[in-house]
Amino acid sequence: MSSSINTACKSHKVHGALVAGVFICLAMVAVAQEAPLHVPSNAVAGQAASIATTGGGSATFYLVGPSISFKQDVELGQNIDLTAKELQTSGDYVAVLCTGTCSSARFFVVPGKAAALTFLVHPSRAPVGLNDVINGVAFPFDQFHNLVLAPATVQFELTAKGSAPTSRRVQTHDGIAWFRTSSGKSAGALQISASLSDLVARRVVQQVASDPCNLRIKGQRTAKGILVETEPVRDCSGNPVPDGTIVTFTAKDGHEVSFVDAPVKQDIARATMVAKGPVVVSAASGVATGNELRLGGKE
Amino acid sequence: MKTDFRYMEHHSQVRVIATIVLVLLSSSALFAADNSPQVTLDASKAGPRSVEVLTQRAIVRDYKFAWTNLDAALESNSASPLNGLFAGTANDWLRQAVSSQQRSGIISRYLNQRHKLDAIFYAPAGDVIELHDTAEYDFEIHDGGKTIHNDHAIVHYVVLMTPGADRWVVRQLQAVPQF
Repeated sequence: MSSSINTACKSHKVHGALVAGVFICLAMVAVAQEAPLHVPSNAVAGQAASIATTGGGSATFYLVGPSISFKQDVELGQNIDLTAKELQTSGDYVAVLCTGTCSSARFFVVPGKAAALTFLVHPSRAPVGLNDVINGVAFPFDQFHNLVLAPATVQFELTAKGSAPTSRRVQTHDGIAWFRTSSGKSAGALQISASLSDLVARRVVQQVASDPCNLRIKGQRTAKGILVETEPVRDCSGNPVPDGTIVTFTAKDGHEVSFVDAPVKQDIARATMVAKGPVVVSAASGVATGNELRLGGKE
Repeated sequence: MKTDFRYMEHHSQVRVIATIVLVLLSSSALFAADNSPQVTLDASKAGPRSVEVLTQRAIVRDYKFAWTNLDAALESNSASPLNGLFAGTANDWLRQAVSSQQRSGIISRYLNQRHKLDAIFYAPAGDVIELHDTAEYDFEIHDGGKTIHNDHAIVHYVVLMTPGADRWVVRQLQAVPQF
């Protein structure tokens, strides 16, 4: 967890007699050991801590962390106080104390307790009746945006209009809790919340009708041709499909075939087609096809 | 004739100098290549979504690039190398680190980097990946040209990356005592 090294000793080049070099090196180590650093072993982000020093005289203290670096003059034998602000970021810190030589030690600052919940939910719109189409991922962070890695239980709750709420409790692993679920049978807003203690994050997934199912069409001759329209277009669960869903009408007049694309508007798609003789009209949308409609020739 | 000889002598000197320059340049290029971070990724344990091969390559490429530029930023005390590679919290922290180094006159270096990445979570929608990085490097701190600290460190990082428009960006880079 923490290590102490003497950089000056490492870089020292022995130019003279080996014994003299070893002696100098040992002497430097001894000097360094006179001013060791006692770094905190349980530092928590956003909480003040102190580093104890021994020895006497003045020295220069350096702290290099994930988001901070500073140096200051200190008196050996006294504690070096680190403020809560200086230790806001969780991670690996190196404390260095330099007199003639430098001693250093590493220590970790761990995240504080969860203060915010980041919650990602996909997709924002989901067709009804699809398996495992909705998913959410929650990340707990402390007040300084450190990812909280200690296991915690996140409760996901899903509430749709007209059905009972469902919930599941998931424990975080490595700072992540997630779920995956199928969409419901009814179109409408699905409220999803993730909560951890008193923290709550809410998202909404709009459940929309799936592909059209069982198209039914009707039509009649008019002065301009034939007017064809669908009955209300719904998916297989009975939800009206969204406006703008395209229905393709096909008219076969002998050997001639004509097509018209019409958007669904207020549940119904309409089109006027030009045809003089007897025609057979059909409709399709997505993979769904409708009934065939036979209309006689214009008199 | 005497002039020709001098010309030849001069010419051979130029060739020797050019050869030395070329050797130095190529050796420095080799040195630069050796000094770039080595990154490996094991995505076999990632879930719930599996990480496609192209995605793995992109993550390795961008993570390597991120650490190269992290070192460049903290060596030069300039935040500009961080642009586009870090986002959110990781970006904020690194910029704070650079600005506090500027104030104190400290420079830090991450040399001879080796990163062993393990993908441990890849979101179902593919919008976030969590990695465990066992990083190994020579960490140096300099103050006014004097090396005040160097050690060979093995540090464990929890990393969150998200896909951007054309690359993966590092959003969280948090050292932990152990995984």
